Amino acid sequence: MIQPSYLNVFLTFAKNSMIRDMSFRMNFILQCISSLSWAAMNYGLFLIIYQFSDSIGRQTGWGESEFFIFLGTIWIINSLIQTFFMANATEFSEMIRTGNLDFALLKPIDTQFLISFPRVNWAQLANAFLGLAVIIFYLHQLLNDPSKKMDFSIWSVFAYVFFVFCGTVVMYSVMIILASTSIWMGRNQNLHNFWFYITNFYRYPMEIYERGIGWALWGTFTFVVPILVVSNVPARVLAQPLGGHWGLWDWTLATMSVVAAAGSLWVSRCVFRVALKSYRSASS
Amino acid sequence: MIALDYSGSLSFSNLAQTRLLACKHPIYNLAMSIIEINHLSKSYRVYQKQEGVWASIRGLFRREYREVQAVRDISLQVEPGEFVAFLGPNGAGKTTTLKLLSGVINPDSGDCRVMGHVPWERENEYRRRFALVMGQKNQLWWDLPAAESFRLNQHIYAVPLDEFDRTRDELCEMLDVTHLLGQPVRELSLGERMKMELIAALLHSPEVLFLDEPTIGLDVVAQHKIQQFLKAYQEERKNTIVLTSHYMKDIQALCQRVVIIAQGSIFHDGSLDDIIDRFSGDKIVTLQIGGPDEVFQGLRKLPNVLEVEPPRIKFRIGRDDVARTLSDILSTYAVEDIVVEDPPIEEVIAKVFTDAQGGQVDDESHPDIAGVS
Repeated sequence: MIQPSYLNVFLTFAKNSMIRDMSFRMNFILQCISSLSWAAMNYGLFLIIYQFSDSIGRQTGWGESEFFIFLGTIWIINSLIQTFFMANATEFSEMIRTGNLDFALLKPIDTQFLISFPRVNWAQLANAFLGLAVIIFYLHQLLNDPSKKMDFSIWSVFAYVFFVFCGTVVMYSVMIILASTSIWMGRNQNLHNFWFYITNFYRYPMEIYERGIGWALWGTFTFVVPILVVSNVPARVLAQPLGGHWGLWDWTLATMSVVAAAGSLWVSRCVFRVALKSYRSASS
Repeated sequence: MIALDYSGSLSFSNLAQTRLLACKHPIYNLAMSIIEINHLSKSYRVYQKQEGVWASIRGLFRREYREVQAVRDISLQVEPGEFVAFLGPNGAGKTTTLKLLSGVINPDSGDCRVMGHVPWERENEYRRRFALVMGQKNQLWWDLPAAESFRLNQHIYAVPLDEFDRTRDELCEMLDVTHLLGQPVRELSLGERMKMELIAALLHSPEVLFLDEPTIGLDVVAQHKIQQFLKAYQEERKNTIVLTSHYMKDIQALCQRVVIIAQGSIFHDGSLDDIIDRFSGDKIVTLQIGGPDEVFQGLRKLPNVLEVEPPRIKFRIGRDDVARTLSDILSTYAVEDIVVEDPPIEEVIAKVFTDAQGGQVDDESHPDIAGVS
């Protein structure tokens, strides 16, 4: 049987989005500038904070260099989500409301794939490069610091990429689940709000929640909606706040990251399928 | 049928065709149908909101819903190569039926097979073999040239490159839009965009094509062009097309078979001429009479005179009375020419729609309906 090449379809999406972005040049440039300056301000804020303190908490190992590797990781995951999924998830909600999902359902290709990837927001990728630059710079600092016992090899890079991927999958799945609920609600504008709430919590090392009422947040965002795992696992692989040796807790977190990615993807697919059954297609 | 007695000098263009189709119908049921619909029903629950802010706030806690029966117990068969029109007033269930056939929505009950597939199972093998074009929605990327959307469809439908190029060029030439391929879709006129939508839907050479009001909002020239194209395309490829439209011109030009849907049910299934035979008991007679104007005094007394413009007079007359009245007139007046016509199709259809919406569809009063399933 003839199968469409998913790679070719994705590349065409990417190309078409690029052509589209380029035809609105000024918009593209402004988008790049605004997201880069947001990152720069973010960076500046933490530079200021680190003038008052050497580390987040006692004996957590999140010193300045380690933390900026963490921050770079957040930028990369954020940027991947915004480049590849944010516009699509929003668009998906809109397609349900306007009935344009009809066309996606007609195509002989996986519908979830088709609605997940059509728009690639290239301008948002700028932050991923910035994050990468920050990570390389601070990793270099750490590796040249004789007081740190870093265990860094090519495998750390592979592991890092793998866990960033897992994290992105979790965030993507959460988004698709939320967007799918628009089929029942008719309209869902919680997507952006939700993204704002979530990113507020996952952009710090999990150790900052390990005190008082923070434990409640720690528990929720580690086990129920595992967004702390999303950001902390890859960052710890590179920054190694407590040295290169992996303890039981590191292994647990790493396993959770993989399980969370696979599990959330599976759940998102189930929710998506059930939701499609209720699709009623707006009037023509 | 009395009218046939006058066929020597009168205009009855489509009658022969009507008879041919009527003869064919029993044979249709014996052959394998490409579309088989059995007792299909679909209803929607619609939120009833009263006007005003208070009503909206009340709606937060208690909602009232109304059940809208969009399609009720429809049964229908379409044979390979047929060009069928769904005709009906707004909200009659035509589009819902097309959406069920293309698997976009699931039915409440009933069964349907298109090319042997159950549409709402959305198998890729099925989706590769048909297309749906909706006049009111567009699938092309708004900010990009149509050529880019075509390329995307090539990848999605896995059309081999040479075949894709050939089909695209051929379709663009037929619709005369080759020079517009590189222009962003948002800068195309409505007519041009509709042509591009059609091409996008036909690139994978679908065996079954569903067209939902493909000429809506288009000017006469663009409408005509699309009609011509569809006719030529269907004659060449012999594919099966189901079309909904409000323009009788589309239907007259393209479809041998018309299915009237009203209030979710099938009200009539046959040719356009069948509709006139069944729903219009009248003929319109135009006479040209020699002699002085006084001759017309007598004729003016006929009931239902529509127009008197000596030497012509036009009147409406019951079908059964045509023969008797005309023979009376012929024996009394010096008639130079006679034209006996059916009333305008638009008028008949409007009457059918009003009847269909006013009275409930009743199988016994319309024995034809039983023959549909």
